[in-house]
Amino acid sequence: MIYIYLILAEFFSLAFQEYLPPLPYGARVLLLPLVFFYAALAVPPPGMLFLAFTGGFMWDALIATQMVDGTLEISLGWSIILFAVLGAIMNGFRPLFQRGHGWEMHCLLSGPLISIFVLSEYLMITFRRGGFLFPKIIWLRIGWEGLAAMIVSPFVFLVLHWLALSFGLIPPREEREASLE
Amino acid sequence: MRQINAIAVAIFLVLVVVLFAFTPRNTQMMQARFLGVIAPLLKNGSSLQKQIVGFREGMKKLDELDAENKELRIELSALKATDQTLQGLAAENNQLRRALQYRERSTFKLVPARIIARDASTWWSTIKVDKGSNDGVLPDQPVLTEEGLVGKTTVVAGNACTVLLICDENCGVAATVEGTMERGMVHGTRTSTAAAPDLVLEFLSKLADLKPGQNVFSSGLGGVFPAGVLVGKVKRFDVQPLQGIATVVPAVDLSSIEDVFIVTGGGK
Repeated sequence: MIYIYLILAEFFSLAFQEYLPPLPYGARVLLLPLVFFYAALAVPPPGMLFLAFTGGFMWDALIATQMVDGTLEISLGWSIILFAVLGAIMNGFRPLFQRGHGWEMHCLLSGPLISIFVLSEYLMITFRRGGFLFPKIIWLRIGWEGLAAMIVSPFVFLVLHWLALSFGLIPPREEREASLE
Repeated sequence: MRQINAIAVAIFLVLVVVLFAFTPRNTQMMQARFLGVIAPLLKNGSSLQKQIVGFREGMKKLDELDAENKELRIELSALKATDQTLQGLAAENNQLRRALQYRERSTFKLVPARIIARDASTWWSTIKVDKGSNDGVLPDQPVLTEEGLVGKTTVVAGNACTVLLICDENCGVAATVEGTMERGMVHGTRTSTAAAPDLVLEFLSKLADLKPGQNVFSSGLGGVFPAGVLVGKVKRFDVQPLQGIATVVPAVDLSSIEDVFIVTGGGK
């Protein structure tokens, strides 16, 4: 059930993200990666890979994969790999989540990881389009997205975690801690 | 590594490799299906957003609405009459072209569409609109408003489609400059967004003496955009070692448009 819940959360966050206003320098609040990072903390590695696949697929299907003159600028699947790599880093801090320090880890890591995600996307399109352009606005945009992710992440974490606990989708903290020993 | 993790990684890699092997056509079909699934949600969200904005802006007075309604009816009648006249002229023009053994020009069909979502990505400038293949929309069809060019359709689902805006680096439009023989290519820049569109007109002659305020129109070359649609106005002209480059301000405010027209049936 936790996986269905998290896939639905990924799906709805992707739709909701479309209505969030842009930030300075054209930066955006990226909700789907934030939901995925919560998932990466909440589930074991095989589950994280499964959710990286679903999240990355949705991201590619709606946002990242653009058709240019009959060819794909970025192939379907690259975002899945990015999600999996960044999710693996987040998943490494799962013991802290199980000890009840989940939101702090989610908040601290979401910013840098989302900045890496956005930078990786930029590097891919730069490689594809040519011209190694890195004006100041690019760095400001990447930085703002990381900052926005850190600001929004506690709310995303609390909503997802509260719902998961309320529906009994993840065990309470005591049980999670006991499972570590 | 535990055995189950190794198996999960192996399955994951196999699935990703399968996705990498998808042809562009299959990828586009898959994107269209996913857009079709998420489109109802986006449409409802868009309606809700409009209701909230409408509530915040307050209701217009009844007499104001009545007056506006009358004005719009008069305007509609005038436009219908103009449209009929133009259709007659188009038929006559085609007849004359046939007589001169020119290729017949097909008339455009405009499909009105409402924007249901604006670009949520960092590096791509796109919008989603509420018309798709059920309304006769196909990929690579021009999208415009009464003010000028907006972009072109890319992924088309049954009930929605994605529009690549002209401020995106990937959306190139062959263009001409009003009052000159200059031809070039307009496209966005990598840092361009709908809120801060940054268009450049490239491949101009170094001797082109362009002045700020000159209109830039689509030239019709390339087969996607029809000729004569206003793209924007020249803001600045710079001479570079190999070519002249003009900075162009888009004719349409891409960050605030709500309704667009998709050119179908003869747009190409």
